[in-house]
Amino acid sequence: MKRLSYFFPALIFIYYSLHLVSCTPAACFEETNAYLKASFYINSTKQKLAPDSVTLSGLGQTDKIYDKATGLQPALFPLNASSASSTFVITINGINDTIEFHHSHFPHLISKECGYSVYHTIDMHAFSQNNIDTILIINRNITTVNEENIRIFY
Amino acid sequence: MRRIFAYFISLLLLLSAAELVAQDTILFPLKIRAGFDLVGPGMYIYDHDHLSMEGYLSYDKSEKISFVLEGGYADYRYTQYNYDYHTNGVFSRVGVDYNFLKPEISKGKYWAGLGLRYGLSIYSSETSMYEQENYWGTFSSSIPKNSGTGHFLEAAPGFRTELFRNLSLGWTLRLKFLISGGGGKDLKPIYLPGFGNGGKITTLGINYYISWSIPYKTKRVITKPVVVEEPEETDEEGIMQQAPGFR
Repeated sequence: MKRLSYFFPALIFIYYSLHLVSCTPAACFEETNAYLKASFYINSTKQKLAPDSVTLSGLGQTDKIYDKATGLQPALFPLNASSASSTFVITINGINDTIEFHHSHFPHLISKECGYSVYHTIDMHAFSQNNIDTILIINRNITTVNEENIRIFY
Repeated sequence: MRRIFAYFISLLLLLSAAELVAQDTILFPLKIRAGFDLVGPGMYIYDHDHLSMEGYLSYDKSEKISFVLEGGYADYRYTQYNYDYHTNGVFSRVGVDYNFLKPEISKGKYWAGLGLRYGLSIYSSETSMYEQENYWGTFSSSIPKNSGTGHFLEAAPGFRTELFRNLSLGWTLRLKFLISGGGGKDLKPIYLPGFGNGGKITTLGINYYISWSIPYKTKRVITKPVVVEEPEETDEEGIMQQAPGFR
């Protein structure tokens, strides 16, 4: 019986050693960015249909999010956590429109390994109607979960 | 008169158990114990970002069952490239220990059994910095200090042995199950004092205790009934001489 208690310090040493080895951060395999997920619908039939060509960029940004992407469904809009609104220039089948989202944000812990993500709540949206007919808000909560947030009817 | 008395005694013996049983008993010391954990302070030597100190009090209800109260304090810091996190708080566990050893083996000195605990953790946490990169650039912010409460269950199998008079060493494995970690669905604690990783439903831990015990009561415990042969029937004088227990 005493041996069992004496043996245990060795077990604790092994435990500490494993703990030291495991102190290096484990890899993060989860999505950490929360995107607004937009599905495209053709307005005449109300059927889900990806445009022939989609170009998307942030207003005032030089980099493009999508550059003449084909068969895009859904499109992922990254929202600006440093601002209360995010404005995008979207070109659907060669016709330009702008879409503006007003949103609030809050932190969400993904995991110890991944850290925090920034989730959003869409408060309001506005858009031009050169090619876009209407935009429906399906889910105002912008998270890392793969759920449809808006429907763009063009 | 003597014959009536003898017949009466015979009748009593017949009405009592057919077999008379003698019993082995031991005097079992019931104790109050107090101890503290060595694993937490030892871990702090290796990792100054993680401090956990705890102690316990236990009360022997019987030779098999003890009531246990544990309590402690933890302080935990974690930093990686995209956030800095700090939490501290107190925790407490209440439960029972059950000794699987027979009283004649344990004798109040040895314990090999299983403990069950309910744990409560009260903590405050703060994220002094977190950041995220996306299309629009790097966003940095912080989460102010907020408080939370967590609940969990534990199973604690282990051993304990007495080294010197009233001084014991023992260890337990801690199999922990999280009931609720607090913080809501968005700000779960990265570390829950007394439990561990707040993002996991189950965790594993170890405690190694040194403890002192104070006997407060001695209990006579029946260890093993010994069956003896049924007494033989004799005449009036023989009954008075051979029947055990009669003087």
